[in-house]
Amino acid sequence: MGGPRKFAGALLRAVLRIAPAESRDWARAMLREMDFIEGEWAVLFWALGSTTSILRHAASGWRRWFRSKSNQEAGMNSTGRKALGVGLGMLSALALAGCAFAVLRIAGTVFPELRHSSWEYWLGVLIVPEIVFVIAIVMLWRKRGPVAAGILATGLVMALHVAVHLTLHW
Amino acid sequence: MKLRLSLQTLLVLDAFLEQAEEWKYGYDLSRVTGLKSGTLYPILMRLAGHKLLETEWEAASEPGKPPRHMYRFTPEGLRFARANATANARGALDQVALGLTTLGQPAPNPAES
Repeated sequence: MGGPRKFAGALLRAVLRIAPAESRDWARAMLREMDFIEGEWAVLFWALGSTTSILRHAASGWRRWFRSKSNQEAGMNSTGRKALGVGLGMLSALALAGCAFAVLRIAGTVFPELRHSSWEYWLGVLIVPEIVFVIAIVMLWRKRGPVAAGILATGLVMALHVAVHLTLHW
Repeated sequence: MKLRLSLQTLLVLDAFLEQAEEWKYGYDLSRVTGLKSGTLYPILMRLAGHKLLETEWEAASEPGKPPRHMYRFTPEGLRFARANATANARGALDQVALGLTTLGQPAPNPAES
């Protein structure tokens, strides 16, 4: 078994592991078909196309989920709607912080000289997420106040966490 | 029924219409239609989502052989495909007829328009 076929198999197995439940059968179907494809590069292109299909299918599932959430939101009373907005804001803020942290981790892997520098740490845990939060709060404050409040709450908790950490260790 | 009938979707429907009662495999469909997996599978997923296709895992004929996913028209899918094949054939005939008609006429003068 050549390199491209091995890589294609590993890629589709990884996709199968992370695919949401409703896409998993399709991912398994594409993986099984690979045994019947002749040619190393043909298999690789098959796997790349299949990965795109699964990601698109999963994305459409997420879009449906978000749409159903906003429909639920429309049917709620004012307090429920605000609470849901704050919750969504907090979730979004955590996801944003996670993404910023992951990007900096990857940068640390690609450029090992950055890995142990203290500025990378501060950039990852405080500066980048807080800048993103401030921008998001300013942009959302008028149109989606509860979501902005949720992001603000998460930003404050993160800043407080850093302040406590600094107080205890310095 | 809200289903976008792109050229690729029509190709897939056409491939299914040949021996419509038989189960078909993804890779075989890809070879017959010339579509890559990234184009073929979203179409299959959409058709299955609209209940035009039924899917099934092939029972393993030999031990150790992995099962394959198979696809076939549902009765509704077969009706839909036949109706669209007829409509598209009529559309193609109209295009040919239009082409033949315009061939027999002098080219329009741009200055007049």
